[in-house]
Amino acid sequence: MDSLYISIGIVLLSVGALGYYAFAFLPAQLHRWRCQSLRAFAKAIELRTQGRYGDPALIAQLAIAVGARLGIEGEARKQLELAVYLRDIGMVGIPYALLNRSTPLAPMEQLTLARHVEIGAAIVEQLPGLNMVAPLVRLHHIEYAQQPEAPLGAHLLAALSDLIELAQHAGYEAALHALQAGAGTRYHPQVVQAIAAELQARPLGSWAPLRRSAALWLGLVMYPLKDLTRLFIELARH
Amino acid sequence: MSLERRGRLRKRYWLWSGLLSGVALIILILAGNPFQQGGHLPLLLGLGLVALITELLLIRYPLQHGYTDRGIWMSVSTPIVAAVLLLYGWQMGVWLDALVTFGAGLLTARLKQSHLRWVWLNTAQSILCAAGASAWQIGAGYTAVFDTLPSFLKAALALLGVLGLYSLINIFLVSVTVALAEGVRLHWVLRESLRGLPRETLPMFPLSLLLMTVLHLYGFAGSLAVLAPYLALRQAFILYTRQHELYHQTIRSLGFLIQRAHPYTGGHLQRVAQWGRKVAERLGLPPERCELVYEAALLHDLGKTVLDERILNKPGRLTPREWEQVQRHPQLGAEILSDVPFLNPIVPWIAYHHERPDGKGYPYGLQGDQIPLEARIIAVVDAFDAMIGGEAPSQQRQYRRALSIEEALQELRRGAGTQFDPQVVTVFEQVVQEWLPLSRIAEGEARTRMQSACH
Repeated sequence: MDSLYISIGIVLLSVGALGYYAFAFLPAQLHRWRCQSLRAFAKAIELRTQGRYGDPALIAQLAIAVGARLGIEGEARKQLELAVYLRDIGMVGIPYALLNRSTPLAPMEQLTLARHVEIGAAIVEQLPGLNMVAPLVRLHHIEYAQQPEAPLGAHLLAALSDLIELAQHAGYEAALHALQAGAGTRYHPQVVQAIAAELQARPLGSWAPLRRSAALWLGLVMYPLKDLTRLFIELARH
Repeated sequence: MSLERRGRLRKRYWLWSGLLSGVALIILILAGNPFQQGGHLPLLLGLGLVALITELLLIRYPLQHGYTDRGIWMSVSTPIVAAVLLLYGWQMGVWLDALVTFGAGLLTARLKQSHLRWVWLNTAQSILCAAGASAWQIGAGYTAVFDTLPSFLKAALALLGVLGLYSLINIFLVSVTVALAEGVRLHWVLRESLRGLPRETLPMFPLSLLLMTVLHLYGFAGSLAVLAPYLALRQAFILYTRQHELYHQTIRSLGFLIQRAHPYTGGHLQRVAQWGRKVAERLGLPPERCELVYEAALLHDLGKTVLDERILNKPGRLTPREWEQVQRHPQLGAEILSDVPFLNPIVPWIAYHHERPDGKGYPYGLQGDQIPLEARIIAVVDAFDAMIGGEAPSQQRQYRRALSIEEALQELRRGAGTQFDPQVVTVFEQVVQEWLPLSRIAEGEARTRMQSACH
């Protein structure tokens, strides 16, 4: 009778593996693909604006790490990551000359630039599988004092966007100080606190080489499994 | 395809279906009367019902690339048939498969708009598959008794063999039928379906193993418990497929949307993409490659989103500095897409879509065969649509008058060998000649509609 339990165990194990593949591995892989494809469009914007709004992959990592401190997990986390890549897509509708001006912008021109938020949200709303990210895109430059009830993810995006943009010419120290000065008025105080804590735990220099590490690990685990199953087929054939 | 070839194929197709039917009937006769098979009749009917239900809830699998709107349909009654083959002998398996396929075919014939002839052909195919798969079991001299671990493992291995053989035979038979019925080359269909073999067979294996164990231990009542994991699995796969399709839609719509920021009509990209795919098909590229040509043609000017729109929209001639900027766009497009691993194959096509066989193209000045065929296809198709004025609204580029289709074709012919690849030009001419009458009809219809609206 012992062997019976063993066989049932083996069967349950294989069903478990199947469940893992269908419910955990496939969705993770799909999210990875989606982020990769969106990275291409973020890259287009990056080239168009000559990189002044930062490396999207870096911002995505930072957003996920800070989001974890703020309790943004699961589906909200995925949406946050997608929003990082999509947030500036509206820049395609902003005149090139305005985006690449080295002198400061006049107030009217700043209003034009600010329209990228609306354009981006309108574009994202049209996309079948991504329209749930549109609110985050629309709110990614909000001020805390005006809309304190907006989702935490939007406040996080607003603070991070400014941080990276400021850091491009003033350095991270100064950018963080500017954020802390605006906490409670312009930025969500909790968000600023979390960003400061995260940057203290891991200074920004150490971020770059960590790209797509989780996805890589998943792949490293899954690939031998795939080969193993192929081996079994071969064995069964001979 | 010539009429002669079509007739020959038609004859071969009838021969093939006759052969299938004959062999299937002989197998059925050899398998004997299912109503005389001892105490297994209730089991056969019960399992048949379960299998019928699963067969009606088909799983749709995504294919590797492109094929977003098609996908292949996989029957899920196969694991049940395989388990029955091993446990109760090949006769029972063959009858089960025949009954289920025929029943499901009849019930869904209206839905799938399939002819009764197809239902029978499908049934004959499944009979052949089941009988062929059982050859594995007979050859191994295996009987399904598993009281010890080694015998259980042996049973599992035999099951895997049966499943694999079943799928292989199925793929071969279906491929021949499809190739004969649609006049496609057999090795394309075979290659395309063989690639999906592990992905289709392996998920069936645990399910089949579970079913076999439960049937052996608890009989028919136990087999009902298998329905639960099956339904969960089905849900997961449907979800995955939908998301997969969504992802492709996303790529396409983002391509369109970004281009819309510039003076393109959506029609230009779509025409270039469709013609590109047609030419690729005519040149004998494998199907998944043709799909990629389609996507590459949609995204080929992605690099222009990075450029200053004042240059792109400029009505007059460009200054040398502006021209230099415009010449960067293939490279920029390639750079944008280089971060996406599954788009890797199309990156060089986009980078080289303005190269010329005589080496006078930009930005790299490659020559002849150094330019990938796909890039040469996109170059010809893109240039043609730009010449007939499809690229930009007519107020753009005022210095360049839109040509008629005949003039544009002549221009292509004149540039063949220097500016364009001669082989691609020849094939593309055929494609345009076929498209021409259709477009004339559409144009005429639009005109009459406008006139009637005016009156």
